[in-house]
Amino acid sequence: MTPTRVGFLLISLCLIACWQVLNIPESAIQMAVGPALAPASIVGLLLCLAFLYTLSAWRGRQVDEASEPSQAALPGAAYRMLALLSGGVVFMGTVSFAGFVLPATLCGMLIARSFNATLGLRSFLICSCISTGFWFLFNPMLGVGIGPATPFGF
Amino acid sequence: MEALDALMGGFASALTPTTLLWGFVGCLVGTMVGVLPGLGPALTIALLLPLTYHVPATSMFVMFAGIYYGAAYGGSTTSILLNTPGETASVITSLEGNKMARQGRAGQALATAAIGSFVAGTIGTLALTLVAPFVVEIALAFGPAEYFSLMVLSLVAVSAVLGKSLLRGLIALGLGLLIGMVGIDLQTGQMRFTFGQPELLDGIEITVAAVGLFAVGEALYLSWQGRSTKPEALMKLSGSLWLSAGDWARSWKAWLRGAFLGFPIGAMPAGGAELPTLLSYYTEKKLTKYPQEFGKGAIEGVAGPEAANNASAAGVLMPLLTLGIPTSATAAVMLSAFEGYGIQTGPQLFTNNAALVWTLIASLYIGNVILLILNLPLVGLWVKLLKIPPPWLYAGIIIVSIIGVYGAGNSIFNVALLFVFGLLGYLMRRFDFPAAPVLLGLILSPMAEQSMRQALTISQGQWSTFVTRPISAGLLAVSVLLLVAPAVLRAVRR
Repeated sequence: MTPTRVGFLLISLCLIACWQVLNIPESAIQMAVGPALAPASIVGLLLCLAFLYTLSAWRGRQVDEASEPSQAALPGAAYRMLALLSGGVVFMGTVSFAGFVLPATLCGMLIARSFNATLGLRSFLICSCISTGFWFLFNPMLGVGIGPATPFGF
Repeated sequence: MEALDALMGGFASALTPTTLLWGFVGCLVGTMVGVLPGLGPALTIALLLPLTYHVPATSMFVMFAGIYYGAAYGGSTTSILLNTPGETASVITSLEGNKMARQGRAGQALATAAIGSFVAGTIGTLALTLVAPFVVEIALAFGPAEYFSLMVLSLVAVSAVLGKSLLRGLIALGLGLLIGMVGIDLQTGQMRFTFGQPELLDGIEITVAAVGLFAVGEALYLSWQGRSTKPEALMKLSGSLWLSAGDWARSWKAWLRGAFLGFPIGAMPAGGAELPTLLSYYTEKKLTKYPQEFGKGAIEGVAGPEAANNASAAGVLMPLLTLGIPTSATAAVMLSAFEGYGIQTGPQLFTNNAALVWTLIASLYIGNVILLILNLPLVGLWVKLLKIPPPWLYAGIIIVSIIGVYGAGNSIFNVALLFVFGLLGYLMRRFDFPAAPVLLGLILSPMAEQSMRQALTISQGQWSTFVTRPISAGLLAVSVLLLVAPAVLRAVRR
């Protein structure tokens, strides 16, 4: 990813938003300002800014932390980010039938993996302690409904 | 006098055991999030928003205030001992604080930071108590046109001041405004930007956006870098926690100057804590009798900025409570909490929910005392927190983030959205876009649209109403100045 690509991404987002603005139906209620005015103004403004950003990035005037040696990513960046995002996917895919603790543990293990911790028993034990601890704190103690801890209903 | 009577009532309420306990928990959690990297008060309060369904409003806001003040206190510990500020407002503290720690004076640096935070926090709260009723009286004269212009000013100021580039700040603001438009338009019932998804009809929750941008975004950025795999090297907690007579003599004026810089700047739109801490540092550098010590560990360079940081926290609460306008990411999340309780912020808050407001203000005084007691004796405990290895720290942060989002309605869609905002946060961090304008835009865009519509209804569709009313015109003129002035100044300098 480069600043120019970020610029194109922003322009694409604006074009999708334009399509959505065109899909806003006119209101039957008589009023000074309809439902599409504010969204259209914002999208118009953002589109102009996105063009300016893309132009500026194309001229090499926008920054990317990756270009600074002290901030640049070490090898394996894509793999690490994928591990972290997989944690979220695993949680979403399993929480509806496996209770809270196991999906959160698996998610935690993958997040720890993205910070170079090895996937193993130690990681499983630490992450299950974290997720069980937070489940106890939030569900029974503070009353935040995050579902049962296990698939067996408790 | 009326304000003092109301404040006494607030103290009576804040000193009840239950409220005091929530305040204590808030201070404890706040200090912890201030110390830990990757967490901040906005994110923590956003994570705790699901609790608003179970806890009375007064207790909740007392806890939130404790978190807000506590984070301002806690940020100094990492700046001094680790040279890694826990939050942006503590960056200046690390300049001199870490040098003091390297000279074996970490204890004195932590002590002047803690006592200075107490002194300035108390002065800031006192100023809030005395000034807020006057601002409320002025705000009562505001109509929808003035409110719209004030919101425009707040949004423009945040985007223009935060970050290194006006263009990137405005793009972040535009994204926030766009995200704030998602959902059903409350006046006409039309769907906007929902892509036919029923989950988006109620709009995007601020918890999802704040937690995604700050927590998941930060974790993604750090995992992309791949450098945060071990705890960073900590300085030893050296030196006495007691200040010598010389240290007191050099610190007290810096505390007072920091407080008097921090509160008014914090109360301005986009004033925040970064600007007053920087100003305080340069003021102390100019006024000190020991200029040769600056850059090598001058105690005034810790005392002043830390005081300014805490006084600005009280300043930020003023526009939120009196005008209903958030001027920082934390204030935006707190405004969302007020909305969650169905409480209308702004001048009416002082009449309709006077007990809540004055309990909140009283709890700030009490919170300052709690934090002074917590910070110094427990500094060893805070240091231990910094030794948690990043893999387990971030696993814990993301699990709590998921709980905060999933707990609000057991929505898997919102968890997916959390990671989408995480990716946005990562891109914004990597390409240097400020995140706060996104949150302010998200929360203020529906409010600004509503004020604009009300103003146009009153003026029978005349757009000139925004420039013919003097206060509104003045606020819009300042907004334009903020946008144009930097470019004009640059051109003049050339």
